[in-house]
Amino acid sequence: MFSTTRYFWRETFRSLFRNSFMSLASILTVTLSMFILGMFVCVVTNIDHMATYLESQVEMTVYLDDNLSTSQVMNVGSQIKKMPGLTKITFTNKDQAMVKFREELGDQASILNAVSGNPLPASYALSFDSPEQLKASAQSVAKIQGVESVQYGQDIIEQLYKAAQFVRIAGVIIIVFLAGAELFIISNTIRLTVFARRKEIQIMKYVGATNGFIRWPFINEGLVIGLVGSGIASGLVYYGYQLALKQITEAGLVFIPFMKTYPFMMYTVLALLGSGAFIGILGSAISLRKYMKV
Amino acid sequence: MITFNNVTVQYDASHTALRGVNIHIDKGEFVFIVGASGAGKSTFVKILTHELVPKEGSVIVNGQDITRLSNSKVPYYRRKLGIVFQDFRLLEDKTVYENVAFVLRVTGAKSREIRERTSHVLNLVGLRGKENEMPSKLSGGEQQRVAIARALANQPLLLIADEPTGNLDPNTSQEIMDLFSAINHMGTTIIMVTHNQDLVNAMHKRVILIDEGHIVSDVEKGGYISHV
Repeated sequence: MFSTTRYFWRETFRSLFRNSFMSLASILTVTLSMFILGMFVCVVTNIDHMATYLESQVEMTVYLDDNLSTSQVMNVGSQIKKMPGLTKITFTNKDQAMVKFREELGDQASILNAVSGNPLPASYALSFDSPEQLKASAQSVAKIQGVESVQYGQDIIEQLYKAAQFVRIAGVIIIVFLAGAELFIISNTIRLTVFARRKEIQIMKYVGATNGFIRWPFINEGLVIGLVGSGIASGLVYYGYQLALKQITEAGLVFIPFMKTYPFMMYTVLALLGSGAFIGILGSAISLRKYMKV
Repeated sequence: MITFNNVTVQYDASHTALRGVNIHIDKGEFVFIVGASGAGKSTFVKILTHELVPKEGSVIVNGQDITRLSNSKVPYYRRKLGIVFQDFRLLEDKTVYENVAFVLRVTGAKSREIRERTSHVLNLVGLRGKENEMPSKLSGGEQQRVAIARALANQPLLLIADEPTGNLDPNTSQEIMDLFSAINHMGTTIIMVTHNQDLVNAMHKRVILIDEGHIVSDVEKGGYISHV
């Protein structure tokens, strides 16, 4: 068995080198498409990550009528707490709202001196599981007695969701297209190999080689092309991502929540290698089915 | 060992390659198949190598009806055959040794078995010392010896030779025939398709003449008979 395995691999590399131009072309195609795939994975994952982060940051602010008693305020609070999907609720009274407003105004806080009394309402700040719930929640909160108005950043979240969805769909379409191109070039390379070795295949058949035996070196060849191509692409994506993160950090954009290199890149590299191997084997199989007739 | 029962092969409506052929060949026989081009000799060989399955009749080889062989069994059937071609069909990018060892590798033999068996058959055909040569460096006769060694590697029950001396000069042809004779004496059944009248006449073996798909004569210890 050992000698057979060694034989298969020797034949695989012999044939890769014999058709070195086509082998190189297929490896480069796989590298290019896997690199683009890797970049898409990075972009889509990071947009998703940002969207999730921003969603979790989004609050709904419930402003209360000005003349409520403490028990009425508590009553509104306990009704809000019954809302499904609520993750956090914080109360801000009129005085706290004014302090916060002054802080936000900073240097220009002096304009508030012209205002008599405290016009700011007391409010509840709410966080929810998912943005889809926000609209329905906002409508039911608005109906609670003592609630003056409800504000939430629904538009921004919906826009972000749409953008993420668009990138995802575009990514899938481009990836499917690239995978098709990879399959095409790999199966063509293997077809050339099959053609170059047709005499050998014929002799193998005459001497009683099983179809499985005849197929192995070709399947291996596809596997090697897929793995080498996606390996180079993985390296480029890995170092490219690290470099991009470094640039972003140096540009001072630290507050934007990007995926950390580990473990994200580990999964990305494994996925690229896996799909490279799969596409390589599939490409060979297509070609063998079509051109070998064993 | 080999029995053809009423075998008919028709390629298309106007071209029938074999018509109701009945043949019986015993184990250990040396049989020449002769006839003009297009008479049906190649079809006969292709049936034995299972490249072609006749729609009518049955072909029993070693107790097995090869017209009913499933695709997955074909490789195992072929391992019991040795096939030698007119054009040698060696792998040009492999050494003499590798050309023979290859056959054993295909059947999943162990390294040691491959080494021993390859050396043995190369000695048998008189190519000791040429193991590392490339086929292109050898003479035609030597290349055919490599092909014969390759055919013998799996210890076949039946050796099929399709015009094995067609590309060789008369002296070399005689040497190759002597080698086949020697192999036959060791017990291997040999079926040889040829045009070479002198060789057939000199050998005094069984001769089957095929013409237009019919067996027109089958003579023990015969010579090359031409009905054309």
